[in-house]
Amino acid sequence: MPRKVEITGLNKWFGELETLRDIDVAVEQGEFISVVGPSGCGKTTFLRIVAGLEPATSGTILLDRAPLAGPGSNRGFVFQNDSLLPWRTVLANALIGPEVAGRVGEKERTRTLDLLQLVGLGGFENYYPRQLSGGMRQRVNLARALAIDPDVLLMDEPFASLDAQTREIMQTELLRIWEQGRKTVLFVTHQIDEAVFLSDRVLVFARRPGRLQESIEIKLPRPRALALKRTPEFTAYVDRIWTMIEHDVRAAVIEEHA
Amino acid sequence: MLDRLRQNHLAGVLSVLGGLLFWELVSRLLVANALFLAAPSQIVDAIYQLTLTGELGRHIYISSIEFVIGYVIAAVIGIALGFGMASNARFKQAMQPWISGFYATPTIALAPLFILWLGIGIWSKVLVVIFLVLFPVTINTEAGLRTTSERLIEMLKSFGASRSQIFFKVSLPSALPFILAGLKLGIGRGLIGVVVAELFGSRAGLGRLISQSADAFNMPELFAGVIVLAVAGIAMTAGFGWLEKRLVPWTKD
Repeated sequence: MPRKVEITGLNKWFGELETLRDIDVAVEQGEFISVVGPSGCGKTTFLRIVAGLEPATSGTILLDRAPLAGPGSNRGFVFQNDSLLPWRTVLANALIGPEVAGRVGEKERTRTLDLLQLVGLGGFENYYPRQLSGGMRQRVNLARALAIDPDVLLMDEPFASLDAQTREIMQTELLRIWEQGRKTVLFVTHQIDEAVFLSDRVLVFARRPGRLQESIEIKLPRPRALALKRTPEFTAYVDRIWTMIEHDVRAAVIEEHA
Repeated sequence: MLDRLRQNHLAGVLSVLGGLLFWELVSRLLVANALFLAAPSQIVDAIYQLTLTGELGRHIYISSIEFVIGYVIAAVIGIALGFGMASNARFKQAMQPWISGFYATPTIALAPLFILWLGIGIWSKVLVVIFLVLFPVTINTEAGLRTTSERLIEMLKSFGASRSQIFFKVSLPSALPFILAGLKLGIGRGLIGVVVAELFGSRAGLGRLISQSADAFNMPELFAGVIVLAVAGIAMTAGFGWLEKRLVPWTKD
């Protein structure tokens, strides 16, 4: 089977700072992949390069065997902060992708309304962002990325700003939505349990310079419910990943406080 | 609704009524000299008389023309300058000292000069208004465009948006509250400009009414001019508040 995304020899330097070194990742069609690692491991930079928001210093990224340059409507980006336009309604916000591409017809409107329904915002299409809770705003953020019907969904710690309970709900919601379409997903998070719960595979990054330390297959059955988090198999995965990055995380914490 | 209105405004209304009563009593009983102070009742009467003769209408008309022409020109040029400065760093560097300098200078002091150049007709007043309104509008427009959230710009970039799409879909709407704030600031400054320039020399206008009343020690008519100006300022500022609520509701609450 052909690879959906193929990243080879990816390097990134910010001036004198080596941020990413020799990243090789191959992603299958419909695979849900998470990237975890201590702060400063370059996981967000990695995602931004794939999105085309940041140029790579060297290396190639192939999407369906075609090289990527710059942002495009074949990738949908879900931002950590929701980045909604405050003067637009929920629907108008979700439609921004098709609008930029110059095609907002009846078809796109219907599709986007369906997507809002899918993310649990049916009936809220005429609300303004300031009238919504943090969780609801992230749902719009997700619907907006899906509205362009991207080949790959890129998610940058989308639940980091939510409280713990809302985050757990959003994780199950994300899986429910993902089961409907089985998009290829690259999901960056600093929460190991979130990564294990959502993913088919977890990429563990190390820091200084940021590099791929290990790729761990998560062989837990789908569909997954929150109860899975209390099973020994789940905990074993989390422990294993935590042990891998513990040393790096401690180093990062000490540096941040120094 | 009515109850809330009553609760929110009761203290304000009582305070204004009390103030007017106090003013009336002081001017009638304490000062008791129409050369120094006019009572509210006398002012109301003066406004009524001036309206009947059509004199007040004529002054208001002239001042309004001067204000509106100057204000519109200043708004158009100010917004355009702000756009130019936000989109071109060189242009901004070149303009910045002038804009900041003129904004900080009490340019109203140039009014006699403008009258010398343009005569005592409306155009010297128009120029004063332009000078007073232009710079706050320019400064606010530029600031509004400059402070557009990087996050929102990046969001639009992720969808492959062009520069002009970013400008029209993000920069412009997020600058709108700033532009309106600059225009609002311009109302008060513009009104001051009209009146003060008219004081320096004019044939008609509210400033003219005030200065000729002062020369004749006609306090009721002098206050009539001041009251009309106050009402105009309050009404226009309130109108702007209403406009802001309609145009940029996301900045409220």
